[in-house]
Amino acid sequence: MRGGWVARTTRALTRPAARARSASITLVVALSMSVAGCIGGGDSEQVDYGTSPSSAEASRFLAQASFGANSSEITKLQSSYYPYWFEEQFAAPQTLHKDQMDAVSATLPAGQSLNDNHVVNSFWKQAISGQDQLRQRVAFALSQIFVVSLQDSTVSNYRRGVASYLDMLGQHAFGNFRELLEGVTRHPMMGLYLSHLRNQKESGNRVPDQNYAREVMQLFTIGLYELNPDGTQKLVNGQPDETYTNDDIVGLSRVFTGFSWAGPDKTDARFNGSTVDPSRDVLPMQSYPKFHSTLEKRFLGTVIPAQGTADPDGSLRIALDALFNHPNVGPFFGKQLIQRLVTSNPSAAYVGRVAQAFATGRYTYRGWTVGSGARGDMKATITAVLLDAEARDLTKLNDPNFGKVREPVLRAAAWMRAFGARSASGNYLLGVTDDAASSLGQSAMRSPSVFNFYRPGYVPPNTNIATANLVAPEFQIIHESSVVGYGNFMRTAVQSGVGSGSPRDIQPDYSAELALADNPDALIERLNLVLMYGAMTAETKTEIRTAMNSVSLNVTNVTAARQNRVYLAVLFATSAPEFIVQK
Amino acid sequence: MTNQVSRRRFLKTASAMSMLGAGAPFALNLATIGAASAQVPDYRAIVCLFMFGGNDHTNTVIPYDLAEHTDYFNARTSIALDRNALTATAVGPVAAQGGRSFAFHPALTAFKQQYDAGKLAVVANVGPLVVPTTKAQYQARSVQLPPKLFSHNDQQSVWQANSPTGEGARLGWGGRMGDLLAAQNTDTIFTCISASGNALLLSGQNVIQYQVSSSGAVNFSALSGSLFGSASAGTAYRRILTRTTASHLFENEVSKVTTRSIDANEKLRVALAGAPALTTPIPVNNSLASQLNVVAKMIAVRNTLGAKRQVFFVSFGGFDNHDFLIDQHNQRMQTMNAAVNAFTSWMQELTIQNNVTLFTASDFGRTLTSNGDGSDHGWGAHHFVLGGAVSGGNVYGTFPVVRFGTNDDVGQGNLLPTTSVDQYAGTLGRWLGLTNTNVTTVLPNFANFGGSPYLGFLP
Repeated sequence: MRGGWVARTTRALTRPAARARSASITLVVALSMSVAGCIGGGDSEQVDYGTSPSSAEASRFLAQASFGANSSEITKLQSSYYPYWFEEQFAAPQTLHKDQMDAVSATLPAGQSLNDNHVVNSFWKQAISGQDQLRQRVAFALSQIFVVSLQDSTVSNYRRGVASYLDMLGQHAFGNFRELLEGVTRHPMMGLYLSHLRNQKESGNRVPDQNYAREVMQLFTIGLYELNPDGTQKLVNGQPDETYTNDDIVGLSRVFTGFSWAGPDKTDARFNGSTVDPSRDVLPMQSYPKFHSTLEKRFLGTVIPAQGTADPDGSLRIALDALFNHPNVGPFFGKQLIQRLVTSNPSAAYVGRVAQAFATGRYTYRGWTVGSGARGDMKATITAVLLDAEARDLTKLNDPNFGKVREPVLRAAAWMRAFGARSASGNYLLGVTDDAASSLGQSAMRSPSVFNFYRPGYVPPNTNIATANLVAPEFQIIHESSVVGYGNFMRTAVQSGVGSGSPRDIQPDYSAELALADNPDALIERLNLVLMYGAMTAETKTEIRTAMNSVSLNVTNVTAARQNRVYLAVLFATSAPEFIVQK
Repeated sequence: MTNQVSRRRFLKTASAMSMLGAGAPFALNLATIGAASAQVPDYRAIVCLFMFGGNDHTNTVIPYDLAEHTDYFNARTSIALDRNALTATAVGPVAAQGGRSFAFHPALTAFKQQYDAGKLAVVANVGPLVVPTTKAQYQARSVQLPPKLFSHNDQQSVWQANSPTGEGARLGWGGRMGDLLAAQNTDTIFTCISASGNALLLSGQNVIQYQVSSSGAVNFSALSGSLFGSASAGTAYRRILTRTTASHLFENEVSKVTTRSIDANEKLRVALAGAPALTTPIPVNNSLASQLNVVAKMIAVRNTLGAKRQVFFVSFGGFDNHDFLIDQHNQRMQTMNAAVNAFTSWMQELTIQNNVTLFTASDFGRTLTSNGDGSDHGWGAHHFVLGGAVSGGNVYGTFPVVRFGTNDDVGQGNLLPTTSVDQYAGTLGRWLGLTNTNVTTVLPNFANFGGSPYLGFLP
């Protein structure tokens, strides 16, 4: 019999003390149907959570659901069950990047202000040391779907605003997509980035700015083509069916007029930005009826009649409701979330199951039901992505088409987390790592454009990937220069740590690895588990073993020799293709 | 004398090339020998300068005659440039455009100089088309149109693809040209080169684009010398990086890119070590100039690399000027002017200017209408072609009347292109060395644009 029987009663689900795998357990869980993330069903039902994850399964799950596995997290999950992990993560409090920006600002010498490094450092601080790993990991995924970028010369004047944008994504990561869409649309950083902040109604030859109207449809909600519930394109006469026309953009562009900086009044000066509220960079944009188009707004079959009195908030509510309720949203958004967390080429059935969770607002895993029951429930959607059989199936390690390239930021994060890296300053001073030839070629919140670092449909040309009709988004930033940049970044990092300062601010803790330096096979298996969930090839193991053995321990400075052995093993492991590709 | 030598060498190469069979990329016909003879023998390159975001063409090349400028000014209102700011960059009258005069954006002073020197041409209102299209046909959707007009990522793709295809296109026209010309190069890898990341333009069926860093060759530090106290570990590390036996498609491809990187960067490192010094300084804080500088250096060592036909790609962004157009567009134009000016000097230092043609491209043009302080996504746009081989000092195509409601206006003053990207690309390709047949192989829709769709800016 499979282990993990759970009796349902009326108390909140709590994580049990560590248990052996396959042990039968009983614990009390919530009954309420109304509370998101709680258990539905009757009293004292037996719920089968299956077998606790193996160490490899736990490590693989953590590679998908967090910024990287480490030994203690693997051990913890190994003696638990996925639902407990999710409940703990859903309950973990959010740490705000905005607060970090305020704290850093307070320490800056007079005349200095925040720069991009501060925002990126705050990202790293939470990615590496934050307890709310799922929230942060999903927020990072969302930041690559709902893109704003410090590379924009206007946005980059508001570093705290960008930090708060990332907070907003994290806040709604466990909420509802409709609220997420509202948060994205109203955030002044998005308003600046896609230029609907300060956007005015038509007048003479002037027409409303169409930027946000276009991108909110193309990138954030419905995409270019009508989709089936499983994410495949609906075909009309054999051709894809476009979701919108330029007329829809013109109609929708009128909605996004009359929004600008928040503040205690709605004067023209505040709309135009000359009267400044000190919190305007982090407050949602407010409406200014004077500048809102009162013309009829017609888009996607929705009509907002001409308004006698301009009602920007009413127009926005109708428009966002219409977008949110478009049947494309679940499969369009769900597939991208799968691509960010699990695999570049999910099966249609997998996308369909995630879209179903999005539509119904619920996801059930072995009797554990998560979600509020409202369309767009993010907890249900995220859980559906991560607990789907296709995501959890360990035999997928042998599927030559499954998985995704770990983008450079995630590779560095996995290394830091696997080896307990800590920041001496506490501020994770890694900074911007944009340069592809000498660094990671990627920094959080610094995408080159609203189209992210890579497109979800990117196909690397002239490759077997293209021949197999697969997409590989992250390959868009893998090239002859960037592979060297990453290689040299890691060559220095494994030995000297990363970040500014001397010694460098962020240092790995290799004490567990150093203890295994005399025993290459044991160290290899440790790295194999933590970095690649047991997927290390025999060839890579041989190379690491040979390299470690090439450093003699029969020397005066055996400490340095042991360190060199660890450096070699870690560099080789983090350079191996089976690490670069997360399966 | 030089003429004879180059002609003889040319014919020798021609017969050598013909040995390669029917698919051999050999192109130059007798009509082009005259032009070729004025050049360093056996080398030609085109350089695509892509302006990401959709350049505001309306403020890039502006009607300068008083009445026409007034129309422009009244149409654009708050985002129009004053006529008196355009005096220094005015060109014309242009006979080919009925004697009309134009002005470049005030920051494009070097472009004006090159135009006056006869080395820079303007191609007016060029954009993606499948067939020649009238406004009525566009409105009735009675002819095939490029997909997803006005969308950034799709139109970036459409511009670069060999036939108008939105995002997801696999083949770019530069890459297809490379396919047909690469056999002339010793190393196929140095045929299509991007200094700016993955570029669809350079994707061919056979050639694989090489992506060079602005700093030139980059090498894995762990592959040279002792690695963490081990003399042999570097070799093992190389095996980790270059093992291409994985069954997983992604893993294998990562290793292939890395293998290519190690090989090509080593060749480039050796070649660049012998590069002549360029004395014109690289404009500071100008990533476009840094990219063009590495292109110049690679052209400088073309013989060492065995390169005879090359397609380069450089780019910079920030052109999606929905807001703050006047200021932000001005910054972009200054950046481009400084970078292109330096590149022109580097080509002259290398006396290779007659063999290298730079051309601009962008997602799309932008609306004539203002949205307050910016413009929105459009279609047709004006572009520049620059180089010693260019028949410059002229405006090709048909420069539109800058008013609303014209036969070119498909809404908000967006331009229905009167010259197709295929014509633009085909003209560049023929100069690069494609036969007429090859041009239609590269650009399947080329023949839709008349009996001889070539534009006159290159022979």
